[in-house]
Amino acid sequence: MKKKPLSPHIHIEETVNKIKMLLSKSKGMVLDDNLFGSLEEMCDDLGSQLKNGKVVTENLSVENEENEDSKILEEQIQEEREIFDNVIDVMGAGLCLIDKNSKIIWANDTLKEWLNLNESPVGGHCSDIYHCDVVGTDKCPAELVLNGKEGHIIQSWVTTKSKKRMCIQHIAIPITNKNSETDNILLLTVDVTESEKMVHRLLLLQQFGEITQGTLHLDKLHHLILTCITADYSFGFNRAILFLINKDLNVLNGKLAIGPSSSEEATRICEETASSHSLFEIVQKLDYSHNIDTSLNTMAKLMVYSLADTREVVTLCTKEKKPIIVRDAAKDTRVTDEFRKALGVNEFVCVPLIAKSEPIGVIVADNVFTAEPISDERVNTLTMFVNQASLAIENAVTYKNLEDKIDQLTETQQRLIRSEKLAAIGSMSSYVAHEIRNPLVTIGGFAKTLSRFTFTDSKIKVNIDIIIEEVKRLEKILNNITDFGKPSKPEKINSQICEIMENTCMLMENYFQEKHITLQKRYETDIPEAPVDPTQIKQVFLNILMNAVEAMPDGGKLDVNIEFVNESIKIYIIDAGKGIQQGVLQNIYDPFFTTKPSGTGVGLSVSLKIIEDHGGTIDAMSEQENGTTMLLTLPIK
Amino acid sequence: MTTVLVVEDDKNQRLLYEQELKLEGYEVVTASDGKDALGKIQEQLPDLIIMDINMPKMDGIETMGRILGKNNEIPVIINTAYSNYKDNFMSWAADAYIVKSSDLSELKNTVKEVLAKKANDS
Repeated sequence: MKKKPLSPHIHIEETVNKIKMLLSKSKGMVLDDNLFGSLEEMCDDLGSQLKNGKVVTENLSVENEENEDSKILEEQIQEEREIFDNVIDVMGAGLCLIDKNSKIIWANDTLKEWLNLNESPVGGHCSDIYHCDVVGTDKCPAELVLNGKEGHIIQSWVTTKSKKRMCIQHIAIPITNKNSETDNILLLTVDVTESEKMVHRLLLLQQFGEITQGTLHLDKLHHLILTCITADYSFGFNRAILFLINKDLNVLNGKLAIGPSSSEEATRICEETASSHSLFEIVQKLDYSHNIDTSLNTMAKLMVYSLADTREVVTLCTKEKKPIIVRDAAKDTRVTDEFRKALGVNEFVCVPLIAKSEPIGVIVADNVFTAEPISDERVNTLTMFVNQASLAIENAVTYKNLEDKIDQLTETQQRLIRSEKLAAIGSMSSYVAHEIRNPLVTIGGFAKTLSRFTFTDSKIKVNIDIIIEEVKRLEKILNNITDFGKPSKPEKINSQICEIMENTCMLMENYFQEKHITLQKRYETDIPEAPVDPTQIKQVFLNILMNAVEAMPDGGKLDVNIEFVNESIKIYIIDAGKGIQQGVLQNIYDPFFTTKPSGTGVGLSVSLKIIEDHGGTIDAMSEQENGTTMLLTLPIK
Repeated sequence: MTTVLVVEDDKNQRLLYEQELKLEGYEVVTASDGKDALGKIQEQLPDLIIMDINMPKMDGIETMGRILGKNNEIPVIINTAYSNYKDNFMSWAADAYIVKSSDLSELKNTVKEVLAKKANDS
């Protein structure tokens, strides 16, 4: 009989049946050896089968035990893994394990969230998810760390799965095995958004300082300050309004407001400026005219608060010289209803502008569109910023005052110089006139004496007459000059300017006709009298009319208009002549300056002196070949 | 006959005035400067003095002052090439102020006027 390896249960049954058969067959027989042998075999077989079954059962039970253990182990492992995962998630960092070939072995959930990964990155190359620009180069931190050197820190901005903008840093940490070799690398990713923003703000502060040093133009400066406050990625306030103190009226007046007037505009601006992070870029793109017409700006300009009224939070701010944060405007007693409604927002901050320990204004900033809460830390940075701004404004104001003073000084200096010139020329001309006049008296006098004699030769009388005539001419010139040097005070009487002009024009009627001049007079009605010296004014009119005629040697149109404007009488004398060159225009009042071949150059100097003695002014407007307009202005008091 | 004292430092002008005034019928005495004038006045008191201002040693204003100090009845006509002494308060003390000219008619007329006035006053 063959021994077959059979499954325990069947075998045992079969073997038992066989034994039963054999026993039944051998009933009443004597057990022979064969039979005995087979019986033994079967018993052995059964025994071993039973043993097998036992072993198998034993094995089974051992296996069962092992399964039990491993189940427990597995559960333990699972638990620990969960704890581990929890810890890692709570840590708030991204973790990623990569091997020597930069293949990703494992990545945690936080990393997947931050890098916005839709599927598991395991198995991919680290550059698939990190998108850094040092991949494959020797700057790669993983490579460096593998070679035993210190790894670089890589930084980048990302948009997370939940649409948040974050700034993250990746650090490579080597993982060594039992033999102290680096097998794998752990990439640790941390969130540095807040500190990055802080660094950015401080950098902006420094940049801002540099820019404002260079900006002395006040309006530009105001604009710049508010732009810095509202620029994205800096202080990031949505709107900023600048109020300045007007000392004369003792009020706080809105000067400039920058910010979107609606949330649509806000979103649009946000998208536009998302590309420019640097302050210099923002400043360069600044369009100073852009914000003038916004409704926010118009509203700001209409906001006026008396400094005596401390009910308003802005006035209070200037008095206390400290920033005021208003978190709930509706419930805050410092905020009036009108102000809150005007601003249209519940949370805002007021920062005072202080220069030389005195308040010069207030800046109000809010986050009306993004509704981001205003943190104390942000207000601190804003205050630092505004302090710098105040200094810059103070600088600009001082500079402007300086400019004004310098202008005044220059003007005064020029007048002084001219006055001295006049005085010097006056005294010189008076001396020269005197020296020449004396001999002239002798020459002319004796010539006259001679002319009384009768001569046989008629030519003698003619010649003597010529001498007398020439002497007269010289004396006339001298008279002109000495008139100029004469410090004659005008004797003023209330006169009608139009009348004086009429008289002068009548005097010159023949002259005008001779020179083919068409005169057109326009006098306003009801011009009041003015206190003037008629003779002197007539002299001035004469001078200027003569100049006008001489500018039109071939004749032309001459307009004389007299008006009464702003408590002054304005006399316009307009010719259509050859005009005065730009370069010459500034010299026309200089004594002895003339462009005429036979001019003495004193006419306008004398005229200017006379008009100034009357408290008036002369203005000359001229273009070459386009005529000249002389405007005389005389006050009526 | 009316005596006129002409005080003038320019020699030629002195001659001119002397000639012309003599023609008018006056007796003419001349002086070349202030000192000379004072001396001439001591000798004979003139009816009228025609005074130039710009003279060496003592100018016309000072001379006039001295003369009028002693005798303030004498009329003085200032005859000068300068036109800006008109505002000098001393020259107000003169009876007339004339700017020299080759045409002596103004001078002659003024002499007549001043003498007539003096005659009327006294």
